[in-house]
Amino acid sequence: MKPAELKDLIINSLSVDNNTEDNMRKLEELGVKYSFGEGFREKVLDRIFSAAVSVNREVEFVRSMSTIFYRIALTGVAAIVILLISIFLTEGSLSFNSFLGLSNNYDESIICLLTGN
Amino acid sequence: MVKESYSGSVEDQLVKSSIEGDKNAFGEIVGRYQGMVARTIKGMLGDSVFSDDIGQEVFIKLYYSLSGFRGEAKLSTYIQKIAVNLTLNEIKKRKRFFSMFSQKGNAEMHEFEVADQDNEGRKDAREIVDKALMKMEPKFRIILTMRMLQGYSTKETAEILGLPLGTVLSRLSRAQEQLRGILNKLS
Repeated sequence: MKPAELKDLIINSLSVDNNTEDNMRKLEELGVKYSFGEGFREKVLDRIFSAAVSVNREVEFVRSMSTIFYRIALTGVAAIVILLISIFLTEGSLSFNSFLGLSNNYDESIICLLTGN
Repeated sequence: MVKESYSGSVEDQLVKSSIEGDKNAFGEIVGRYQGMVARTIKGMLGDSVFSDDIGQEVFIKLYYSLSGFRGEAKLSTYIQKIAVNLTLNEIKKRKRFFSMFSQKGNAEMHEFEVADQDNEGRKDAREIVDKALMKMEPKFRIILTMRMLQGYSTKETAEILGLPLGTVLSRLSRAQEQLRGILNKLS
């Protein structure tokens, strides 16, 4: 194709009444083709799905952490309840002194205990 | 065939499977439309490694926005809109970059875009088309890309670019004028 014909072909693609598809086909035949590099599709899929895998791993980690925390919290609550019951059974009340184990001691006996006299 | 057109039901199924995380289904969509996206991006930005990166971004954005695709427009139109938006954003970024370092701004950006071409094994027609495209203002370049490289009608071009038909028509005639001047200088 002569340069003048090519020029007309390019300019005509902007004419309103032009058959753009036909024009495009002619240009393609002249070597006006565009494509991405080799392995484009694989690169796109890798970027999407490897990112999805790492997000899944993060979600899994957070989920297992919350499960562990839930179990620890439950065990802790159960231990506190058992402790309170045992204090109540041994001391007969749930006062502050009974928590500290001081309910049956007089002040003097504490002083004796601390000073050794 | 210039414009990609596939059976609606098959495409619906591909979209549905892709949303569910089917890698092969999304791979099929990429395979079907990568040529169309390449024409838009390389027509607008030139044939460089940056274009491949933007192409990848188009499909990544498509994947994460597929759940919002309601099928009211064709999938090809939806993809084309993403490609156009990302390409225009890239041009804005380049323009900002060049205007930061030079008062010439646009002129230097055009020089960069033309120099950025991979000319290895390029045929004459392709070289002329690329040079003409790169020398055009972006708002005319996108119209020429849609018409010349994608084979879209004026109505389709307006729909994809989100412009009124009247605006596209006036840009067509101004772009034609600019293109004529550029091609005369080239030859």
